[in-house]
Amino acid sequence: MSLKTEAVTLLLGDGDQQVKALDQVDVQVAAGELVVVLGPSGAGKSSLLAVCGGLRTPTSGKVWIGDVEITQLKPAQLTRLRLEKIGFVFQQSNLVPSLTALDQLLLLVHMQGRRPNAADRERARALLDEVGMVDKQNRRGNQLSGGERQRVGIARAFMTEPTLLLVDEPTSMLDTQRGRQTVELLRRACHDHQVATMMVTHDRDVLSQADRVVEIRDGHLSEFNESADVSAGAVADAAH
Amino acid sequence: MFIALRDLTYARGRFALMALVIALIAFLMTFLTGLAAGLIKNNISGLMELDITHIAFEMDDKPTYRNTMIEREQWEEWATQPGVKRMEPMGHTVFTARTQKNDPLELVLWGLRPGSLIEPAVLKGSPLGGTEEGVIVSRLLAERDGVEIGDRITLDRVLTEMEVVGIAEERNIGHIPIIYAPLRKWQEATYGPPGGPAPGEELPDVVFDFVSILALELEDDISPEQLAAIDDELATTTLDRSAFYAASTGYIEEVRTVQIIQIFLFLISAVVIGAFFSIWTIQRTKEIGLVKALGAANGYLLRDALGQALILMAIGVFLGLSLGLWSGQAFMESGRPFMFETDKIIQAMVLLVTAGLLGGALSIRKITAVDPIIALGQEQ
Repeated sequence: MSLKTEAVTLLLGDGDQQVKALDQVDVQVAAGELVVVLGPSGAGKSSLLAVCGGLRTPTSGKVWIGDVEITQLKPAQLTRLRLEKIGFVFQQSNLVPSLTALDQLLLLVHMQGRRPNAADRERARALLDEVGMVDKQNRRGNQLSGGERQRVGIARAFMTEPTLLLVDEPTSMLDTQRGRQTVELLRRACHDHQVATMMVTHDRDVLSQADRVVEIRDGHLSEFNESADVSAGAVADAAH
Repeated sequence: MFIALRDLTYARGRFALMALVIALIAFLMTFLTGLAAGLIKNNISGLMELDITHIAFEMDDKPTYRNTMIEREQWEEWATQPGVKRMEPMGHTVFTARTQKNDPLELVLWGLRPGSLIEPAVLKGSPLGGTEEGVIVSRLLAERDGVEIGDRITLDRVLTEMEVVGIAEERNIGHIPIIYAPLRKWQEATYGPPGGPAPGEELPDVVFDFVSILALELEDDISPEQLAAIDDELATTTLDRSAFYAASTGYIEEVRTVQIIQIFLFLISAVVIGAFFSIWTIQRTKEIGLVKALGAANGYLLRDALGQALILMAIGVFLGLSLGLWSGQAFMESGRPFMFETDKIIQAMVLLVTAGLLGGALSIRKITAVDPIIALGQEQ
C-alpha cells in the first residue's frame, strides 16, 4: 500500500473547545488508485489530508507512506518526506506569486538542493504539456485563470515523482465544466504515473471519476453508500 | 535564492523603493564619514602632520594648547630623559592679524626652531631661518585670503610684523590656519612688549625661556609608569597622539557628534530594513506556508530570504556609496572640509550592511514560525 492509516485519531483545540477531527480512521490507497473522500465542510477532510501529508501529527494511530511510518518521524524528516514522496494539489490560488508556471515545478528541484538542469527543465515542460499548459509556461499565477492555475498545481505535484498525491478540494473554485476537466486530468495522471491519490471534496459531480469513494462525517470514515446518500439528499431537498 | 531573485523582479516597485531608502542611508553615511574625516583634518591637520609620538604640556588635568607654558629648564631636562629620541620646544598662540591689504585674519602662530624635523615642507618659497621675521603660511591663507610670498602680516595688539617666505600644505588647529614662525619670533610676539623692543634695545633673555609645548618622539617601549615619573619630576603632562588630538578645541565634540549621527544611522538602517522585511514576511505568510507544505525546510527559506536582504542591501549601498563619493568629490573640490578615507568608508558600509542584515534577520526568523498547515486553509 502506498498510503495506510491505522486507527488515526486527531483531537484539535483544548478543554471545552476540543473537537475530535478524526476518529479511529483506517484508510488505504494503492499505487495508481484514485480514492475520493467525500464529506461536508467541517467533516474532517482537510484534517485527514494534513495527517496523511505529515502536516499534523495524529493524537493516536499510525500512518504509513510506502514502508515509512511517518508518525515516528521528526519534523525535519517529515519536511524531507513531503518533498520527496508526497505531491500536493491545493485549492486554486496556491501558486508562488513571483514564479512562472515552469518555475513552480523547478522550485521543487531547487528545494532538493540542486540547480535545475536541462533534464529537469525537460521533465517540467513535459508535465506542463501533459496538463496543457506548456504554452503558458512563462506566465505567472496572476496571468492565469483559476483552471489554469489548478493545472499548473497538478503538474507541480508530479514533478518529484511522488508515491502519494494528496488533493484538496480541486473543484471548489472552478465552474462545473472546468472542475470536471480538472478531475479527469487528475485521474489520468494518477493512473499514468501510478501514484496513489487521495482527493478530498464535497463535490458529488466528481464521484464518477473515482476508483473508490469513502465518506467522512464528524471525523468517522466509512465506505460511501450511494443509495443512503441519495435518500439523505432527497430528504434534504424536500426540506428545502 | 530561487524565490528571492524572482521576488526582486516580481515586486520590483517595493524593492526599488526599499533600495532607494537604503541608498539614501548609505549616501548619508558615506557623506558623513567623509565630512567627519574632513572636519577632523580641518581641526587638527597641523597636529596630524607632526612626525612625533607625544606632546608634553604644562602639568594640568585637562591640558589645552591655549593654556600651557613650559620653561627652558623643563625642556632641557626632557631632552635628557631616557627613552626620548627627539624633543622640540614649540610655541602656540592664537592671534588676530592684518594682511598687507589690511584684511583681518585669525591665525595660530606656531613657533619652531628653524631646521627642526617638525618644520613643514614648503610648496613654494623658502624654509624658516633665512630671516628673523620670515614665516611659512598654510596654503589656505594663500588661497582663501590671497596672502602671497613677500607679503607682510601684522599681528593685532602686539604689532609684531612678519614676512611670508613660504607656503606649506593646508595645516590647521581648531579649524584655524597655522603660521609657522621661528621660535624666537614667536616668543617675541607672545611674551615681548607690544610693538617689540624700544629702538636700540633688545628683549630680555627671559622672554626666550618659555614655550607652550614640547613635541616628543619617544621610544616605543617607554612605559606609562616611566612617562608618569618624568611628568611628576618635570611638572608636565604628556599625551600620546589620540590624546593630544583631543586636546584641540572642539575636537572631541565634533568626533562625538559625528559618531552619534553614525550610530543613529546604523540603528535607522537596522530598524527600516527590519520593518520592511517584517511586513514583507507577513505578506508572504501564505506563500511561505505553501512552500513549506511542499517540503521546503526552514533553513532553505531563511537562506533565501537573507540572500534577498543581502542583495537589496548591496544594491542600495552601492548606489548610495556611488552617489556619496561623487557628491563628496564635488564638495571637496569646492574647498569644503571633506576627505575620503577608504578604510573608514568601507568600515561604515560593512557596518551598515551588517546592521541591515541583522534587522532583516530578526524579521525573517518569523518564517520559522509559519505552519505549513495554512496551505490547507487551516489555522496555525
